[in-house]
Amino acid sequence: MDSGVIPISNFQLGLSVVLVLIAGLISAALKLELLKSLVWGTIRTFVQLTLIGYALTFIFTVNNLAFIIMIVTVMCLVASGTASKRTPNAGRYPLLLGFVSLWVSTFLVGTIVVVLIISPQPWYSARIVIPIFGMILGNSMNGIALSLDRLFSEVKSTILEIEALLSFGATPWEAVRDCVKEALRAGMTPTINSLMVVGLVSLPGMMTGQILGGADPQQAVRYQIVVMLMIAAAVAIGCLLLILISYKKLFTREDAISPNIFTVTNSKR
Amino acid sequence: MADFFRFENIHYQLGSPGRHINVSASLAEGGVLLIKGPSGAGKTTLLRILARLQECDSGQVYFEGRNWFSMPAQLWRSRINYNSQKPAIFSGSVLDNLRKPFGLKIKKEEFNLTEAEKGLQALLLSQDILGQEARTLSGGEAARIALLRSILSNPDILLLDEPTASLDEKSGNAASDYLINWVRQKPGRGIVMVSHKQDLKELIGTKVLDIGFHPEEVN
Repeated sequence: MDSGVIPISNFQLGLSVVLVLIAGLISAALKLELLKSLVWGTIRTFVQLTLIGYALTFIFTVNNLAFIIMIVTVMCLVASGTASKRTPNAGRYPLLLGFVSLWVSTFLVGTIVVVLIISPQPWYSARIVIPIFGMILGNSMNGIALSLDRLFSEVKSTILEIEALLSFGATPWEAVRDCVKEALRAGMTPTINSLMVVGLVSLPGMMTGQILGGADPQQAVRYQIVVMLMIAAAVAIGCLLLILISYKKLFTREDAISPNIFTVTNSKR
Repeated sequence: MADFFRFENIHYQLGSPGRHINVSASLAEGGVLLIKGPSGAGKTTLLRILARLQECDSGQVYFEGRNWFSMPAQLWRSRINYNSQKPAIFSGSVLDNLRKPFGLKIKKEEFNLTEAEKGLQALLLSQDILGQEARTLSGGEAARIALLRSILSNPDILLLDEPTASLDEKSGNAASDYLINWVRQKPGRGIVMVSHKQDLKELIGTKVLDIGFHPEEVN
């Protein structure tokens, strides 16, 4: 039985450009005007991934705990930047809150997975930590963006009900509780759906990668289960944290709905 | 002399025309204060300020001699209840809607079904409406349910924005009678109301505050 990675030589890597040429020909034939971005995308893929390959090799060799924490923190920063750009409804939302909730949920869940479940030697082995934390971040980034966006849009569309609740003496939390529920649901639904269909509709990328890398499918499946569950946990924690620390921003110091939630979006876009 | 409810030099600006409003008035126990003025004069804004849902530039409000800021906003709003012109209806049955305020932490009393049924009768609504999905109510029905919900929540002062605007004459009169009845039934109650209709004006104890357009207040 074959095992281990079958290496791809430079020549074989070059052959993969043929695939882009096919896409390029279609684009040219149909005048899709995608050729330029296709070429640019191909170059970027080669450059970015080659660089990250070297970077990872370097990081794995150094394998210094402080260095790893720093890298994951930078990853969190980039992820929260992307998440806050994807929330048109949330307006001028401070990056900081997104960063805090991503960082806390990623480190909490990631550490449990790495230390307690996988337990490599040493426990902070970069070869394990970086991919695991990266997968958590990639998924919770989408989750928190969705839930934050939904929180603001729900509040806007149910402002009448929220103000009625406030008028009866509701606390801000009581007034937006239904919106929070909807926001959490929106953030977690993609993750829950993927738990439902995994293995039926698609084979997850990580598992496929391990199998191509020569791993035993049974082991790859075990890893995948851990990864799916950790993503679900991280998304739930990240969304909840973000909502808990940001719902107050919807209110004035008088605990009334802030007039800013209606103006921010327009002035920004 | 401490009035029951009094606001002094409430100063605020209205959106685009840059119009400044500065009003004062007071309300006695068992009284009704009717706020009049053309559309866009800032009547709704005044009610929202009194409910502390919106901030004014300056001014003071006193309730039973206490300054508004000496009370937490939640307590203030539970005693001085604002009822918006467009009724706020939650998903669920009409009964769920009437119970809604009693699910809040601040409410110590229990929901009283007998009172609710009496109220429905007074507002010319059938008892069967309790089981109906509230989102399917007509505009006039929803307005009366929202009004009833406010009254059942047992505030001291009701801030009402056009409570009878979407009602026909008969149910509008029933609603007016119900309100007058409510305000006089027990001491320590009052109503501040925005209305274009004149129906309550003739009633004894009704004061009128006109915040119509005053050229000298334009900057």
